[in-house]
Amino acid sequence: MRPATAKWPKKSREAPHVAPTGFVRIMSKEAPLSIAERDFILEALREDVRLDGRGADQFRPLSITFGDEYGHVKLQLGKTSLIVRISAEVTKPREDRPFDGLFQINLELSAMGSPAWENGRSNDLEAYVTHVLDSVVRRSNALDTESLCILKGVSCWSIRADVHVLDYDGNLTDAACIAIMTGLQHFRRPDAVVRDGQVVVYGVEERVPVALNITHKPLSITFNSYNDGTTIILDATRKEEQASEGEIVIGINNGGDVCFMSKFSGSPVDAMEMVTKSTVALEKVKDINGQMEKAMQTDLAKRAKQGMADLSRAENDR
Amino acid sequence: MVGPTASLSTLSRADGSACYKCPTTGYDLLGAVNAPIELPARRDALKPEEATVEVFVKPGNTTAGVGERYVEGILRSVLTKVVLGRERGFPRRGVVITLAIVGGETVTRGDSYLTILPALLHTSLLALLSAAVPLSMTFSATLLGVNKSGEIIPDVSVTDAKSVSSLHVLAFTSKNHLLLNKSEGRFDFDTWEKVREHALSICRKNTIFNLDGDVAMGDGEESESQGFIRETVEDRLEKDYMWKIDSV
Repeated sequence: MRPATAKWPKKSREAPHVAPTGFVRIMSKEAPLSIAERDFILEALREDVRLDGRGADQFRPLSITFGDEYGHVKLQLGKTSLIVRISAEVTKPREDRPFDGLFQINLELSAMGSPAWENGRSNDLEAYVTHVLDSVVRRSNALDTESLCILKGVSCWSIRADVHVLDYDGNLTDAACIAIMTGLQHFRRPDAVVRDGQVVVYGVEERVPVALNITHKPLSITFNSYNDGTTIILDATRKEEQASEGEIVIGINNGGDVCFMSKFSGSPVDAMEMVTKSTVALEKVKDINGQMEKAMQTDLAKRAKQGMADLSRAENDR
Repeated sequence: MVGPTASLSTLSRADGSACYKCPTTGYDLLGAVNAPIELPARRDALKPEEATVEVFVKPGNTTAGVGERYVEGILRSVLTKVVLGRERGFPRRGVVITLAIVGGETVTRGDSYLTILPALLHTSLLALLSAAVPLSMTFSATLLGVNKSGEIIPDVSVTDAKSVSSLHVLAFTSKNHLLLNKSEGRFDFDTWEKVREHALSICRKNTIFNLDGDVAMGDGEESESQGFIRETVEDRLEKDYMWKIDSV
């Protein structure tokens, strides 16, 4: 039974509810929440209960694993999972920035992550997430692009981060941001030196590859608001995102420097919330950066051990 | 030789998925299939009585280019033949296959795309099986190289592929018919015939090699017929039906 106090959901924000057509799913549109489901989520949130039993300021369990190569990160945040690959190549710097290397974040949503996404065609979510990632990671200068310069105006490193979304269950922005930052810290590029005006790039076997120069570690933290801005929760799942009224994204680093803040769309929230939520965000960023560091140290320690074992084996050629 | 490793239904949002790792070339692939699905712009399909097969190859750390479009074309034509697009619920709908190269070396521009083609074919087949899309047959593919002295190299790595005089990708159906043949480089017909025979012997090990659902017994052929694809599917089924098997 529907509680008498529950308000009817706002119909203006949502496309008219389409009855499901058998077992066939329709591409380019996420299955909309039913009215009952939306009511249930909103009513539960009014009583500070979330579908998966988390608190309002709690992230889903985060798992970070690494692939064989450097900079290959597999991240799982609840049911959202993605792979980030970092790659480097030597290119010519831009004419107007001869001292700067290049850094690019590439996110393409394919039908793998969600049947609602069409292959080879960009959608709103893709544009939005790319914008946030660009602002938080690239334009906040988390990766020092000047250190990527090899020879002024002639050659520099071009770093590329590719995000592959495997499963989409909400909060793509934060998941992708965490994965990219982990990837950048984990990645090792080949060593390159300039000798007599010639750029020499050493292979991974010849010289120990070098880590990238990370200036600070910003992460984006996304909040969703409900019930006229009275309930604000962290790390919404896909269903919670669909029932949400508005979104706040805060990009903040370990030191508490805010590098991105956006109240992109949706219903208004109290200005004080921006202040209180950035404190929450700071706490979360410190926590996640800690987890990230831990996962990376274990992996790098494992790698160091393996590398040594391979080289010091008795059956090797001398 | 270490065979490829694969597992089915690894993703939760897609209807069917498979991950596949080829040890010789080092490619690590992930395939997802959504089927049958309503395609928004395909209401006036060219063949309204059949399902449209769409293939999308997503390279690991570059943007998709000509090479990807080329293999997509090959995969689409092969898989359209294999998928039973006239089954109930399939006409006018789409079978969307997404293949992402998530690990291993990237095929750079100018390199041969044939090295990755068998892996892409196997991944899409496994993903289709995982999505329970009706198929007329299964298949198995292999990559063979021929070096300058005319010898056939079975496990061609990406670096080997640059030095061989010709590269061949052949796919055989579960009924041992030749399904696909793509060759690159210089070779004569005798060489190709030898390559075909060699490829057939490799693929027979890989496919589900039985005609009417009964397994060939005796002559040591049983081990041959238990191919890699069958094993992968069996592993998954065993996991899925654990509750039933245990209770018996």
